[in-house]
Amino acid sequence: MKSFWKQGEPFVWVTGAALSVTLLMAMVLIVVVLVNGLGVFWPSKVATAKLHDGGSVLGEVVRSEAVFEGEGERLQFKIGNRELYGLDFRWIDKTDISSITYADDTMVLERMEYGNFYGRLIGLSPEAQAVSGGGDAVQQLRQAHAYVMQQKDQLEELDDELASVNYRMDQLQRKEKALLYKGRSPSDPEIQTLRQKRNGLTEKFQSLHQRQMKQVTELRNYTATFTDISGTDRDMALMDLVRFYQPNSMSVFSKVRYYLIKLVELLTGSPRESNTEGGLFPAIFGTVMLIFIMSLFSFPLGVLAAIYLREYAKEGMVVRMVRIAVNNLAGIPSIVYGIFGLAFFVYGVGGSIDRLFYPEQLPTPTFGTGGILWASLTLSLLTVPVVIVATEEALGAIPAGVREGSLALGATKFQTLTRILLPMASPGIMTGLILAMARAAGEVAPLMITGVVKIAPALPVDGNFPFLHLDRKFMHLGFHIYDIGFQSPNVEAAKPMVFVTTLLLVLIVLIMSSVAIHLRNKMKKRYTYGTF
Amino acid sequence: MNQKILKRVKRRDRIARHVITVGGVAIIFSVILILFLIARVTFPLFSGAQTEQVARFPVSTAPVAAGLDDYLEYPFVIDVHGVVRFYAPPGGELADEIRLQPPTAGSGIQSVERFAGLNFGVLWEDGSQTLEQVRFTTRFDEQGQRIQDRRIARLATFPPPSGGSVMESLVRISEDGRQTQVLLLDDGSLHVRQDSETEDLFGNVEKESHAFVLSGLPDETIAALTMDRQGTTLYAGTDQGTLLRWDLSEPGEVELLDRLPAFPDRRAITALGLVFGDVSLAVGDSEGGVSTWFPVRVSSQGMHKQLQRIHTLASHNAAVKTIYPSLRDKSLISVDVEGVLHLDHMTSERHLLSIETDAPLVISSLSPDGRGLVAVDADGGAHLWKVDNPHPEISWKTLFGKVWYEGYDKPEYVWQSSAATDDFEPKMSLTPLIFGTIKGTFYAMLFAVPLAILGAIYTSQFGHPRLRGVIKPAVEIMAAIPSVIIGFLAALWFAPLLEKSIPGLFLSLAFVPLFLLVAIVLWQAICRHPRLENLDRGLEFLLLAPVLVAAVFCAVKLGPVAESAFFEGNFKLWLFGQTGVRYDARNNIIIAFALGFAVIPIIFTMAEDALSNVPNSLKAASLALGASRWQTVWRVILPSGSPGIFAGTMIGFGRAIGETMIVLMATGNTAIMDWSIFNGMRPLSSNIAVEIPEAPVGGTLYRVLFLSAVILFVMTFILNTVAELVRQRLRKKYGRF
Repeated sequence: MKSFWKQGEPFVWVTGAALSVTLLMAMVLIVVVLVNGLGVFWPSKVATAKLHDGGSVLGEVVRSEAVFEGEGERLQFKIGNRELYGLDFRWIDKTDISSITYADDTMVLERMEYGNFYGRLIGLSPEAQAVSGGGDAVQQLRQAHAYVMQQKDQLEELDDELASVNYRMDQLQRKEKALLYKGRSPSDPEIQTLRQKRNGLTEKFQSLHQRQMKQVTELRNYTATFTDISGTDRDMALMDLVRFYQPNSMSVFSKVRYYLIKLVELLTGSPRESNTEGGLFPAIFGTVMLIFIMSLFSFPLGVLAAIYLREYAKEGMVVRMVRIAVNNLAGIPSIVYGIFGLAFFVYGVGGSIDRLFYPEQLPTPTFGTGGILWASLTLSLLTVPVVIVATEEALGAIPAGVREGSLALGATKFQTLTRILLPMASPGIMTGLILAMARAAGEVAPLMITGVVKIAPALPVDGNFPFLHLDRKFMHLGFHIYDIGFQSPNVEAAKPMVFVTTLLLVLIVLIMSSVAIHLRNKMKKRYTYGTF
Repeated sequence: MNQKILKRVKRRDRIARHVITVGGVAIIFSVILILFLIARVTFPLFSGAQTEQVARFPVSTAPVAAGLDDYLEYPFVIDVHGVVRFYAPPGGELADEIRLQPPTAGSGIQSVERFAGLNFGVLWEDGSQTLEQVRFTTRFDEQGQRIQDRRIARLATFPPPSGGSVMESLVRISEDGRQTQVLLLDDGSLHVRQDSETEDLFGNVEKESHAFVLSGLPDETIAALTMDRQGTTLYAGTDQGTLLRWDLSEPGEVELLDRLPAFPDRRAITALGLVFGDVSLAVGDSEGGVSTWFPVRVSSQGMHKQLQRIHTLASHNAAVKTIYPSLRDKSLISVDVEGVLHLDHMTSERHLLSIETDAPLVISSLSPDGRGLVAVDADGGAHLWKVDNPHPEISWKTLFGKVWYEGYDKPEYVWQSSAATDDFEPKMSLTPLIFGTIKGTFYAMLFAVPLAILGAIYTSQFGHPRLRGVIKPAVEIMAAIPSVIIGFLAALWFAPLLEKSIPGLFLSLAFVPLFLLVAIVLWQAICRHPRLENLDRGLEFLLLAPVLVAAVFCAVKLGPVAESAFFEGNFKLWLFGQTGVRYDARNNIIIAFALGFAVIPIIFTMAEDALSNVPNSLKAASLALGASRWQTVWRVILPSGSPGIFAGTMIGFGRAIGETMIVLMATGNTAIMDWSIFNGMRPLSSNIAVEIPEAPVGGTLYRVLFLSAVILFVMTFILNTVAELVRQRLRKKYGRF
């Protein structure tokens, strides 16, 4: 025992404890994200709580905690029905509740606006009944809803068409403005034809719009009546309902089905209700596109620099300086990159492009404002060092014998590089690229200054010529978390969505880095024989 | 071999060499370029004001006042006959002429007091006064050309006083229509007249009028007078250097608030003016000094406020004659009796400009937006200058020093870049932000460095080799977790949790070591058996994990008990009562954990690399000499690996300084200077993220934010360069790693 202390064994245990703490913290983080994120879409039961004062509350029990004063617990109910009650959540002391039951016919409605509705179905409007094939009320509702949704899909196609016409009108107006700016008179034939074209489009737009409005008014006649727990009846247009379900009578199978449907919506749908409901598709798309454009720039630059450092530069002052520069580049705070991107790309390069190519639009900026291209370029600067370091490491791990062998056979340096070294180093280079991508996926601060937005009106890619719109603003998963978690008017209601987004982002980043680390380890093993 | 192919191959090789070299060197340049471009944005902050003379032309004789529009298109001059002449620079042709109607025919102008832009209080020779406002309205014609219409509106007319002749007069109309008139008569008395109209609920208009003579004047001659825009506070200065201040806000009730000698040597006060915002009073004296004053609470308890000298601006060589405020910021122009004009900024105390012309200047005026200056010299020559004075409020002192801001009781470091009103005094001290950065980083490093280094020591030296292959990737993955997620969890998950169990946290500080100690001792007792010996080798951390969890669990569970035993049942109230420290929900403890979490993997990875690259022979030699494994690590491995550990710490430090999202989300972002761990802070990085979207491009705030980016850059640059130099030395010593 004495020697145990004398030999300093306890210190070993202390270092072990430090490692434990670190790993435990990482585990807690992952577990919290998993627990909170995975459960969000599982339909939980809706409780009817009878209160001692005669009232009753209908809602999902979200959590319970000890009351501030005295003994006992209180429950938090998600009561929904925002347009009726004003609040989504309500705390009720357990002592005030006389009984909690789970009525089978309780229905949860997911709506386009005002969050969930908890209540019961009363009946359908005659129009809605007409399109349903019969059966009990719920089945009728299901059929009528399916019909309305089908109609709504068609409406959405109309929407796309409208957007496209609008875009074309916009382009024509831009062209006209440009011609006027160049000094053409308004009576110039070219301008006249542009105007005619635009007038034609305007007419088309009007007629499309009228058609749409008419269909919407027609669809609005398909309604159903629901009642909340206090007996207030509400008529709701079926087209405003996203989906409805009766969680208390759902089987496990239908719950799983519901979960999967929600998951699909998450990955492919658009956000609703200021991003707190619906899907993440624009954010996922924006993130992927951002990473893609970033890689296009940072990958060649980084690899080139690493090749220079490892294969071409002679060890000396310059290389030392470059190394210091690269490491500094890696260490510069991301927000500084952001502010650099703002000054250099957005206002500098973007502003110059605007002055040169779009002077007629000024002062409305085209490229002189934040957009996906500038954000990608900023991020590529940020991630270049990651690629450089990884590539250098990969090139350095290749045994000198391989290089010398190639040169001895008469290959030039460039040939050795392209035929021998780069293929051998490719897993390492891939590692660097993937790590850089993971970093870009999680980085938010520089994006906030260079073009990310809460809600982007259009994706950077669409069906309108030139199909790729690099000047557009975009959405991003990381910023989505910040935005709905901290800037949403209803933080409590937004929390589930934040956790889901977090889970998604964590999964993306973790998978990417795991792959990168795996690749690197594999590569290390391959060449370890040659390091001495 | 085919010569052609050989040539081509060689040429390609050459080209490649050049391209690649250029690419490499471009990297260095891009680093320098980043610093240069960011720094370049900040340069204009420190440049002084520039003037460019736009026009010089003769004007009519005997001018009494002058003015200028925002576009520098129509400088105008009012002469003693009441004629307002607008000129067209650069030639100075007469563009327009408007005659002011004197209240009694044939009367000329005695003096004009200009206030709040283009308002002119005119004192006529017959003793009556009028309030005239010159208005420029901008419209665009069909060609899109700008046209400014010029008009003069008479807002009020005041009849001459019943007795005595008027030396000086001040007239004001407040926003609610109250008219205030202050007259200095030739017998040295001050007469005040206040007229107001109030409308009651039934629409009856009641006229109220008060006229009185101010009492309590010292037996000195009043040399300068000024009043705020609303006519609620009157200031006077005497030839013996006494400053007086009256409150006129209640009609009919006047209160003498201040009567104090301004300067110890009792020099005469020669000019008074109110700085934009009507809080600070600018005082010009006979020695040429210009100082600004505002009321400050005298004692810490009382509400009584007394005028106090706050800022002293650059001195003139002769007595100051007039002081005019800028209408855009807290700048002042002052003209002395020798006709030299100074432009100074109050907050920064910067002397921006001196103008001296061949003939002394007598009348001067800034345009409403402060970008133009018109002046008339004694020879009747008018001068028009374009003034480029973009950032007068910034000096090294306002950025880093303590500044006495309007309304504050003492000089302080404050960051408050914007407010709802235009006449707000921007407070741009970077000190609280730098403090915030250092504070957040300090506590985070306090938490992260020991954990990371100790963990690295364990992993590289004691850990089971097979587990090492798992731990390292695990920590690397931990490094990949985006900071926005750490920040979100810290703010929305950890902060509410911590708020509920702060005593639990304190308890776990005691419980964790205690439990560890007990666990180690117990384990030693259990493992006496030779067959169990060495079972734990390399697996200690796994054994300890449940112990740690148990310790924290117990601490949290016992937290409420401790709270009622030591903190009177409520820690937050207790803390506030005992120390006066307010507990913020998003405080530095959370930052320490979250930021620490983000930094640990960086330090860990580099420290682990450094330690495992220490040559094995050293370790083997030490063990062979009979040292225990801890002794080997402590005396042999650690000293050899310390430069690498140091480098890792530096890089982690740099990362913590620049981390933005975590601090943005998990602090309250309040720019306070307090070392307490129970409140938040506002670091440079999150300040940039918060404020840059609202900062107008090229404005002062925009450039100051760039300056804070430069500071961040320089901080991390130093840390990274030191780290890299250390690493390079290490690399030489132990070969590649």
